[in-house]
Amino acid sequence: MKITLAMRGTMKKKYGDEERILELPEGSTCHDALMSLGIDYRNNKTLGFVSVNKMRVDIHTELHEGDYLKAFSKVYGG
Amino acid sequence: MNAKVLKDKYAQQAADPKQTVMSAYQNAVLRINLTKKEATIEPLRMDFAEKYVGSKGLVIRYMYEELKPGIDALGPENNLYLTTGPMSGTPIPCSGKLSVAAKSPATGTMNDCSIGGHAGIRVKFAGYDMIVFEGQLSEPGYVVIDDDRVEFLSAKKYWGLGSHEAEAMLIDQYGREFSCLSIGPAGENLSNMACINSDYYRQAGRGGIGAVMGSKKMKAIMIRGTKGVKVPNIKETTDRILEILHESCLDEENEFVFDVGTYAFLEGCQEGGIMPYKNFSDTTDSEWEKYNDSAVLPYREGKRGCGSCGLGCGNFIKMGDAICEGPEYETTAVAGPNAGNTDPAKIVKFNQVCDNMGVDTISTGDTLVWAMEMTETGRYDFGIHWGETDKMCEYVERLARREEGIFTDLANGVKYAAEKYGGFDIAKQVKGLEYPQYEPRGSWGMAMSYAVSDRGACHMRAYAPNEEVFAASVPPYTPEGKGQVVYNLGEFNAIKFSCCLCDLWGTVDYAIMAELLTLITGKEWTEDDMATVGRRVLNIGRAFNQREGFDRRHDTVPERVVRDKLSNGPAAGQVIPPEAFEDMLDQYYEVMGWNKDGTLPYELIRTLL
Repeated sequence: MKITLAMRGTMKKKYGDEERILELPEGSTCHDALMSLGIDYRNNKTLGFVSVNKMRVDIHTELHEGDYLKAFSKVYGG
Repeated sequence: MNAKVLKDKYAQQAADPKQTVMSAYQNAVLRINLTKKEATIEPLRMDFAEKYVGSKGLVIRYMYEELKPGIDALGPENNLYLTTGPMSGTPIPCSGKLSVAAKSPATGTMNDCSIGGHAGIRVKFAGYDMIVFEGQLSEPGYVVIDDDRVEFLSAKKYWGLGSHEAEAMLIDQYGREFSCLSIGPAGENLSNMACINSDYYRQAGRGGIGAVMGSKKMKAIMIRGTKGVKVPNIKETTDRILEILHESCLDEENEFVFDVGTYAFLEGCQEGGIMPYKNFSDTTDSEWEKYNDSAVLPYREGKRGCGSCGLGCGNFIKMGDAICEGPEYETTAVAGPNAGNTDPAKIVKFNQVCDNMGVDTISTGDTLVWAMEMTETGRYDFGIHWGETDKMCEYVERLARREEGIFTDLANGVKYAAEKYGGFDIAKQVKGLEYPQYEPRGSWGMAMSYAVSDRGACHMRAYAPNEEVFAASVPPYTPEGKGQVVYNLGEFNAIKFSCCLCDLWGTVDYAIMAELLTLITGKEWTEDDMATVGRRVLNIGRAFNQREGFDRRHDTVPERVVRDKLSNGPAAGQVIPPEAFEDMLDQYYEVMGWNKDGTLPYELIRTLL
């Protein structure tokens, strides 16, 4: 399946601000998509959360054909 | 003209041999009695400083000591405090804030606000850790503090002017070496939403702090300082501060602050399901991209940071005939989706009008969007509907000037208005302070953070979305563990703000704060000390409020949050069950060591003093 991945905030600076089309095996999760670029949420201090089709989801949420995945950097303050 | 030169300052300090003075403090409190037009200097209570460090913690301890329970917040017994910390005036990054504090007329609680700009550093360079304004002037006036000289002057020609207009005239007269703290018509007219401005666009915003200044008939405070701050081993200290600046403050994690400022929260709140929509009746806005950073930042005309800032969050945005430093996330959300408006130029205009009239954009915005919903649902016709942002600006001016009828009622804030006109269930406030722009049904910890915050609904005390929404560390839709989460966040911010550090230095931690304090004060501070002070600050704020009659009954959540499910966005279907909210409160009280009724055990209070 093909999905689109975009970085937000500081993630854009670290990993590029272009949208990427990723081809992933069926059943892949947001975590798998990021891992395909070497981004492991477990030891990445910049990654905050992910959204799919503009809705925040758990990192282990399964992706589907045509999904739009965003990886947000952490923010601080309020 | 009534100038007083304080020549005996150092003699007074030397007369108190009991104190061991830490470096980086000025060991001086300037106490100005406005009724008598007298100024005196006394040594700083170093025993307070050792327990509460500075700024937020220090001033709450002073207020606990000096403000008698039950006083009228707008009476002469209330004091207005400007408080720095040991880091103020040093090159430590993000240390340029100033705590402005008093008992709040809006809530009846203690209220400390943090204002940016350059006033904090000038207070410190004038030679003071704290300036206390007591009593009230008999006629509108302003006070000039120029190092050791204090002058009381008439403000007749400034009274009634907008805050920006007054500041422009005063800065023109005194020069840019002075900082100006001023109020607008809202402060003069004692609005519960009145703020204090400085550097035009920086505000001590919340809890009607501007009304306290207005009650003292003080239009402005002008401050210049030409002294320095003494620290031990200046070369080693400065070198290490610069290393920390580069290692932590200028870390890539903080770059969003300079790049976009608090606009960075907009997309996260939208897609995280916590951006409020139409008076918090729902979340998320399908048209949010019309006013996001991509839409607004092309209109950026400049950048600015506070004194000693390493990050520079300020964006000057000019759209149409309006300009402001901002609008920050809060103002964007309240005058945008929460008001049913998608035009960013109108948000900028709202920001500008609020600043000049001297009202807090959060409280004023919340009160007006509540009035919009009241009108739209036929509960009461306030004559303002969703999306009527031009009318919002008109209403801001009219409530700031307390025109008769609905405007003078709206000037008292949403709690007062809802008690008079109905609609209490949809009035988003705690203890009389209006909600910041984070919908708690999408971040359950935020509901509790608002509830237990020491000054009513405040997002700066324990910013739960950092854990529940913007990071994957804590599930947002559960009460489980939230007592500890909110406590941890609160303890951290309590010491951070007592160090006088800006909220936006996100990567600072206990180790850095302890090291910096050790470097500049000459006293050993540990990470454990940071946690201990943070906890103490939370408790002294609560102790102040308890003395004013606050307890569990006042740690509340608006009815809508525990009654109505959200319909849109990732938090669709969420509502906080009342028992879940009570569970979170129980957890928090237990972590704090408080009684079930939210009061502090006497033994705990004793340890704070």
